[in-house]
Amino acid sequence: MPLLEVKNLSKAFGGVRAVDGVDFSLEQGELRSIIGPNGAGKSTLFKLLLGSIKPDKGKIWFRDRDVTRAEPHTRAHMGIGVKFQHLGVYGDLTVRHNMQLPLQHSLSGEAMDAEIARLLERLNLAGTEERRVAELAHGQRQWLAIGMALAMRPVLLLLDEPTAGMGPEETRETGSLVHSVHEEGVTIVVVEHDMAFVRQLGAPVTVLHYGRVFAEGSLAAIEDNEDVRNIYLGASRTMAVRSRRH
Amino acid sequence: MSVIQRPLALLVGPQEMGRTWYFWVGFVIVIGVGAAAPQYLGRFDLLNLANFLTSIFLALSLCLIWGFCGILSLGQAAFLGLGGYAYGVAGINFIESHGNTWAALGIGLAVPVALAAVLGFVMFYARLKGVYVAILMLVVTLLFETFLNQTAGQGWFIGDAHLGGNNGLGRFSGVIKRPPSFIFSEGGIKFLGKSYAFFYLTFGLAVLCYLGLRIMVNSKLGFVMVAIREDPERTEALGYDVRLIQLIVFCVSALLASMSGILYVSWGRFITPDVFGVYNNILPVIWVAVAGRKSLTATVIGTLVLVWMSQRLTETDYAFVVLGGILVGAMLLLPEGVITGIVDRSAGLRARLAARLRARA
Repeated sequence: MPLLEVKNLSKAFGGVRAVDGVDFSLEQGELRSIIGPNGAGKSTLFKLLLGSIKPDKGKIWFRDRDVTRAEPHTRAHMGIGVKFQHLGVYGDLTVRHNMQLPLQHSLSGEAMDAEIARLLERLNLAGTEERRVAELAHGQRQWLAIGMALAMRPVLLLLDEPTAGMGPEETRETGSLVHSVHEEGVTIVVVEHDMAFVRQLGAPVTVLHYGRVFAEGSLAAIEDNEDVRNIYLGASRTMAVRSRRH
Repeated sequence: MSVIQRPLALLVGPQEMGRTWYFWVGFVIVIGVGAAAPQYLGRFDLLNLANFLTSIFLALSLCLIWGFCGILSLGQAAFLGLGGYAYGVAGINFIESHGNTWAALGIGLAVPVALAAVLGFVMFYARLKGVYVAILMLVVTLLFETFLNQTAGQGWFIGDAHLGGNNGLGRFSGVIKRPPSFIFSEGGIKFLGKSYAFFYLTFGLAVLCYLGLRIMVNSKLGFVMVAIREDPERTEALGYDVRLIQLIVFCVSALLASMSGILYVSWGRFITPDVFGVYNNILPVIWVAVAGRKSLTATVIGTLVLVWMSQRLTETDYAFVVLGGILVGAMLLLPEGVITGIVDRSAGLRARLAARLRARA
């Protein structure tokens, strides 16, 4: 049984079918990128998996349980960790207090302090504990948002555009962080439109288009798929990819 | 941490101004000056001050729900009015007839909280937010005003209490029974509205509520409240049932507002449907917004100043115009509130000065 299984998932807003009959599954320990042009339904699918919107049709199973109607907090306790497209950190609070929010479910006192220190070290944020989050650089806030999701000790980590607004060096470090978390056995879904980052991840790719699964396969297969190139990657990008391969 | 150390640590937590020793020295001085008020204030001024203090609970209730949890309610006076009416009706039936103040107090607190539980459940579990909650609460409070205004007929008795239409409970005591003040038969203690004892009761309750709320906003729950204010969707994804927490905080805020109503009725021994009106619902918004909605301390100080100012201005016809002008001015110049704005800016100035001094050294 897959860790996550989605069957015939559909969601419409007015007359627009944002997600239209999506079938999708993830095995334990898998790393998957989801790409697609603007309006493809990536963010809606992300919100359906998170639980902040409910589908019109279809089912979602997570860890053998039907979670189609489960609220986000229930899914969080079941092991779904989330990093949103928008920053999703609390600017008025310090870094420490941001980290406390996911940790205070299970830890307190010195054990919590130790876990905060461990996570911040891993996120290159050591020494920022007492700073207000609003004072951090954009990339640091993105890492903090990922760190807060990791603090929930997720089984499945959903990352929506984790490198948005980052420079090349920060993007590379974020890729390394995603790989290291994946190596620990965490299943990860990355919703992304930055193809450079998707290539860095090198993971199997699901392509969405008009709310449907348009193509699925290895990164190389997706990049070689002419239909995908036409809808998303574009001819010039294709040329560049081919020339790099040869 | 021990049972005593933990609340003390929460009192000086980061969610509220006042983490320095000089703040607490000032706090003790203010308590001392307040407690000695009967020594230097005339009877009229002391009664006025007791009345001002009853407003603090309403202001704190809005500060809690709006400033810390991000839910603007334009109908907090509904809980004040309902608490006052429930206490008044119960008081006429239980205190006057049976000397049972605790029952009247319990009913005065329970009725508004029950209403908040029902309304909050409907609003928050339906995922209403923002302006919709504000408007719904305003509609609810205006419905109460409209309903109570038409209760002048002889059919509107609850036991011995006549609701009294737009005259309210106890306005014309020759015909209608007036709601009584607190009288605790156990020790023969009376808190008659015009007494020093009532002032001390109100003052003591205000201090206790302020300190209790400081502990609350610095607790784990307080941090979650702030997180909900900043980003409810994110907070839910961190494993918190945002709807339940909003409901709990809404009920606590209703409890605080109802204390204002109960104390007000006990003080003046009357209440009219006007308390549910637009004016009484906008006033606390002005107090809290002008002072600084994200701070309990600013709310208390700002409320006392603005209530005092309102009373002075009622000698003219322009009280609400002036208060509205103050609100607009404050929103334009210091949108986070005058007191919190000044405190934040002076802290920033001090930090910059310290940095310059370090750089020179």
